[in-house]
Amino acid sequence: MKKVLAMILALVMIFALAACGQQAASAPAASNDAPASSGGSDAPAASSDKPLAGTYDITVWCPDAEVELRKAMIDEFNKTNEDGIVFNATVQNVGEGDAATQMITDVEAGADLYNFASDQFARLVQANALAKLGTKAAEVVKEGNSAAAVDAVTIGGEMYAYPLTDNGFFMYYDKSVISEDAVGSMDKIIEACEAAQKYLAFDVGNGWYLSAYFFGAGCVSKWSTDADGHWNVNDDFNSDKGLIAMKGLNKIQASPFHLSSSSAAEFDKGAAVVVTGLWDAGTAKEILGDNLGAAPLPSFTVDGTDYALKPFMGYKFIGVKTQTDAVKAAALHKLAQYLTSEEAQLKRFEAVTWAPVNLNAAASDAVKANPVIAADMLQQQNCTAQGQVNDGWWTLAAALGATAKETDDVDTYKAALQTYVDGLEKLKSLREGLLFVGAWNGWNNADEADTYILTGDGDVKSLTFEVPQSDYMGGRIVNIGSWENGMGAAQVKTGADLIQAPDPDSNPDNNIVFLAPGTYTVSIDTASGEISIVAG
Amino acid sequence: MNETIEKRSMGLKASRTLSNTIIYIILIVMSVIWLFPFICIVLQSFRIESTWNVNYVVPKQWGWDNYKALWTSDFKTWYLNTFIIALIVAVIQTVIVLCMSYTLSRFRFKLRNGLMRFMLILGMFPGMLTMIILYRVLKDLGMTQSNAVPGLILVYIASSGMGYYVSKGFFDTIPKSLDEAARVDGATRAQVLNKIILPLAKPIVIYTILTAFMGPWGDFVFARYVSFGTSSGMNVAVGMWNWLTPDMINQRYTMFCAGGVIVAIPVAILFMCLQKYYVEGVTGGAVKG
Amino acid sequence: MKRYSDLEFLKLSKGQKFTYKLVSFFASIPRAIGRFFLGIWNFIKKLGTTIGGEFADIYTTFKNGDWKTRSSFLVMGLGSIARGQVLRGLLFLLFEAVFIFYMITTGGYWISMLPSLGKVGPHEEYNEILDSYTTVYGDNSFKILLYGVLTIFFIAAFIYTWRLNVKQNKIAQEYEKAGRKLKSGADDLRSLVDEQFYKTLLALPLLGILIFTVMPIVFMILVAFTNYDGTHDGFNNALFSWAGWANFKTMLSWEGGGNVYSATFGEVLTWTLIWAFFATFTNYFLGMFVAMMINKKGIRLKKAWRTILVLTIAIPQFISLLYVSKMFAKNGIINGLLLNWGWIDQAIDFWGSTAHNALLPRVMVIVINIWIGIPYLMLIATGILMNIPADLYESSRIDGANAWQQYTKITLPYMLFITGPYLLTSFTSNMNNFNVIFLLTGGNPINAAASSAAGSVGYTDLLITWLFKITTGAGAQYYMASVIGILVFVVVAVISLVVYNVLPSIKNEEDFQ
Repeated sequence: MKKVLAMILALVMIFALAACGQQAASAPAASNDAPASSGGSDAPAASSDKPLAGTYDITVWCPDAEVELRKAMIDEFNKTNEDGIVFNATVQNVGEGDAATQMITDVEAGADLYNFASDQFARLVQANALAKLGTKAAEVVKEGNSAAAVDAVTIGGEMYAYPLTDNGFFMYYDKSVISEDAVGSMDKIIEACEAAQKYLAFDVGNGWYLSAYFFGAGCVSKWSTDADGHWNVNDDFNSDKGLIAMKGLNKIQASPFHLSSSSAAEFDKGAAVVVTGLWDAGTAKEILGDNLGAAPLPSFTVDGTDYALKPFMGYKFIGVKTQTDAVKAAALHKLAQYLTSEEAQLKRFEAVTWAPVNLNAAASDAVKANPVIAADMLQQQNCTAQGQVNDGWWTLAAALGATAKETDDVDTYKAALQTYVDGLEKLKSLREGLLFVGAWNGWNNADEADTYILTGDGDVKSLTFEVPQSDYMGGRIVNIGSWENGMGAAQVKTGADLIQAPDPDSNPDNNIVFLAPGTYTVSIDTASGEISIVAG
Repeated sequence: MNETIEKRSMGLKASRTLSNTIIYIILIVMSVIWLFPFICIVLQSFRIESTWNVNYVVPKQWGWDNYKALWTSDFKTWYLNTFIIALIVAVIQTVIVLCMSYTLSRFRFKLRNGLMRFMLILGMFPGMLTMIILYRVLKDLGMTQSNAVPGLILVYIASSGMGYYVSKGFFDTIPKSLDEAARVDGATRAQVLNKIILPLAKPIVIYTILTAFMGPWGDFVFARYVSFGTSSGMNVAVGMWNWLTPDMINQRYTMFCAGGVIVAIPVAILFMCLQKYYVEGVTGGAVKG
Repeated sequence: MKRYSDLEFLKLSKGQKFTYKLVSFFASIPRAIGRFFLGIWNFIKKLGTTIGGEFADIYTTFKNGDWKTRSSFLVMGLGSIARGQVLRGLLFLLFEAVFIFYMITTGGYWISMLPSLGKVGPHEEYNEILDSYTTVYGDNSFKILLYGVLTIFFIAAFIYTWRLNVKQNKIAQEYEKAGRKLKSGADDLRSLVDEQFYKTLLALPLLGILIFTVMPIVFMILVAFTNYDGTHDGFNNALFSWAGWANFKTMLSWEGGGNVYSATFGEVLTWTLIWAFFATFTNYFLGMFVAMMINKKGIRLKKAWRTILVLTIAIPQFISLLYVSKMFAKNGIINGLLLNWGWIDQAIDFWGSTAHNALLPRVMVIVINIWIGIPYLMLIATGILMNIPADLYESSRIDGANAWQQYTKITLPYMLFITGPYLLTSFTSNMNNFNVIFLLTGGNPINAAASSAAGSVGYTDLLITWLFKITTGAGAQYYMASVIGILVFVVVAVISLVVYNVLPSIKNEEDFQ
């Protein structure tokens, strides 16, 4: 009988939950209003000469090593900036490698300002987790940085972040084991290691590191992303040059003293050489002390020819999260500019030995005098800009290293490289984009040649193609890699007289069935979902 | 005649001694394997000559540095968070589980079988994915990031009703005649539960408290999702997991070991003290399914 | 197939009985399917008559009702208040007020948006004076889906309560006519600790399960039919919308040849089943074996042995497993010691991080799972073995049985009989054993052949860890994770169904006790 009591209890709870949603419903409306202040701002001063003045509560993410420094720098900014901006910042330790995953969990609750590595750039832009740089801010970045760095923060002609430091790797070695003249040659290094019974740590099981062999042998893997976030790659690993790289990878892994690791702690466990990046400078120095040497990656020798290893070089950036309040956004951009300025980069170099990327800062004498940074800078002259590598690629590349370890058989290498290319094609087939699949192109929803992809700027994408005479002249628009049937005959608004009328019974897949062969232009407005067809 | 019996028993004795020796050897080897990782972790927590993962067991220099470093890091906050969660969850979850299992064991009502079947089916869905939605619900309630502790408590206890099987099995073994006798004497159902059943159910109550208390110490996935990017809302598992990520492991590895020891000691001691009840719970649960 | 009578069946040997049951189970599948659909038909028929009955009852209640009853059709609880059941009436009234208020203020909005999951997406604006870009947000698909579902729950609850209210009035009216006394509010409350006590006990736990388990699962199932992912997060970058069965097609179809999801799913499922099989049975038999060793007569320090072994239960897994995974690293303690002792001359790559080696890491996770799992089984087996009547062994020894025969004829059947259901649950929970895999290998080494499916699958990945990787991975394809989640449910349900029908001890459990 007294179900009622329990019912009420249950419903009050559901109601409480549901009531929370109410605020959200009205939130969009609120954010349309003048974005005067937010985040507990102390009524920003209305004076027109200092439009940014005010106090802002913000969250900042940066890696463990930089937390204290970052706090100090923000305090410094609060004191020195001329706009009257005061940041009340909560600085949290979130590593650069983890930032994108954490941001995408919930962009709304993520940090207002955060560090991230360049390989996550495209992902963050796609997730709308980075605020675009304004025209003036973009000018400042262009002036202060190399063209490669500027290129790395640009997608589709727009800039989204501030270069902070580089993110590449080079070679640390133990001077007491590896002599100066051996440093340039992988063969000599392996020899020296074997003679001294010491390890050579180079993580060639990892795509990021092992690709240095391929680029060294002259291969290309150029990654690009267009304004819509669609990526493309120009890659020739499956070639004779690729075979050279495979042989080189086999040679190093054949040594019993090779170690697939990229941690400077290996020096403590019998390694004489560790290939890793600047983040390990402290650990390496602590273990090796005065015996620490640093140099660009050596050359490897295959069939009597030397090839200098040419690693991927990425960057670490500071980004500002997308904001709803233009004033706060502008203030945050000021802070980001300050944190990546010449002085700040030099300060960071002194405190945590991060290499500056600002052109002036990098040219300073103090920076050049540091042997580790010097090696890093030298390596920068022989490197491959990383670009927006698709996540699936790392796995494909790692498999190449594994194959090179298992065998020295060239035919197996060829097969492995073929598998690699096939995998790359599969990856392409899973890209975002619209494709016309039909009877005349074999219903291929993973069009490798990209010939049936609908293209266009803005919301309207279109494609012109020829329909040959056949028994069935039907097809539909799908997202690449899928078979969805929500973009077909039923959505055709213009040119319906050219096709059979939609009929769920005889045409359950909602195909656009042309009445006559010929050339057609099909376009779809992705915003409204309407399709128009024009003959000729 | 007597002689042959003696011989046979001597033979038996000899083979028994042999088999016992083999068993002892196996048990000693097993004990070494079981203890080795824990001994290593304790030893490494006292190593001060380096902070990264090394390939030897006994430290070259001993000291309390790692424990001191824990004290100055956010570890205290994480530890306190976890302890509060574990304590509150242990109490409320026990109440809920007992309510649920007692009811399903003792009452026969219209929807009982349907309810049990429904929960069996619910249990077959992997809980992993629901964390996205639970996160959103908690976020709307303002219980994420720095306020993750109440959020985690809420989620742990809210779904605890699903884990009624073990204690229901135990209640099934308490004879119903006890209830009926008390009911004849005029006791209400509530009185029967308080005065008669609960005292008899002490082992299962302790088992439930123990497992409920131990659970939150190990939750990593959901706790990380809820407290993301905010150190003050993390529990020990999330915070210490971060120490083993590539960019921190070389600086924090020995601190991880020290933290592991600090976390493991109270939980392990509690467990050892209440082991007897745990065994009863596990055995009962397995037998009843 | 030949059907045996009960008597014939009893004469069969154990193996034959099992085979017979298995075969007859599969032979009965067509009939079971038939029964299933018949059941659904019957259910629909029954539902139809029930609903018809309800409407008829509502109608007659209204027709025969006095003013108190009739007014309650519109204003819930009015009749109860008029008849003196004030508490009950006020609760009804309060609920109706809350419902109407909610539906007018927000509920209507959520329901109306549910078919489209939002119309206005976010867009960007540029402020020239400040030189900064801002995002102006529109609808929130996630919230629409979430609160839409909740609102439907709420409406269902309202309809149920309204019906309850009508029924109450009918009963109360009959009571009044017969001159019987109606229950007062105090009576109602009292009954909640006595004959209605179960409602009091279940209210809170079930409420929690409803909101924090049922609702998320419903939501998860719905997500599988949308395109919700990292680039359509429903609010911040783009709205998501309904996608129909497209995701299931992507996951399961072989159409187009190069489809990667179906192949990857098959591969991961196979390893998940192999893992679950080994993880369950290695622990089971080794745990039993250890229990028998420790319990053997003449073995001393029983308690000490047990205490050492249960350490792996007592210490949180994130410490023990993470530490063990580092111990077995290529430059970890184990390799260090083996090298120092000269047992090996090259570090063993236990986790296969470099070599293209799936076997060793797979064996390793199973072996380390033994380290974690034996103690549980030892505890369980100890309890059960002690219950085997000692005279069974005594009499068998007199009959000349040796230890092995005693084991296969007495101990094992007894154990299997009692722990049958436990084996099943442990098999299914091993299928979803996230901790061991995630903390030890993280699913690695990576499976290059499957790399183009979302979430970079590894050779030791189970379905559950793959699901996790997809959720937190690059594209965050929540819809694919949902599809996998649903498929995991299907697999677990099918296995449970088969085993329940074949296993002897489950049906006989009551007899046994």
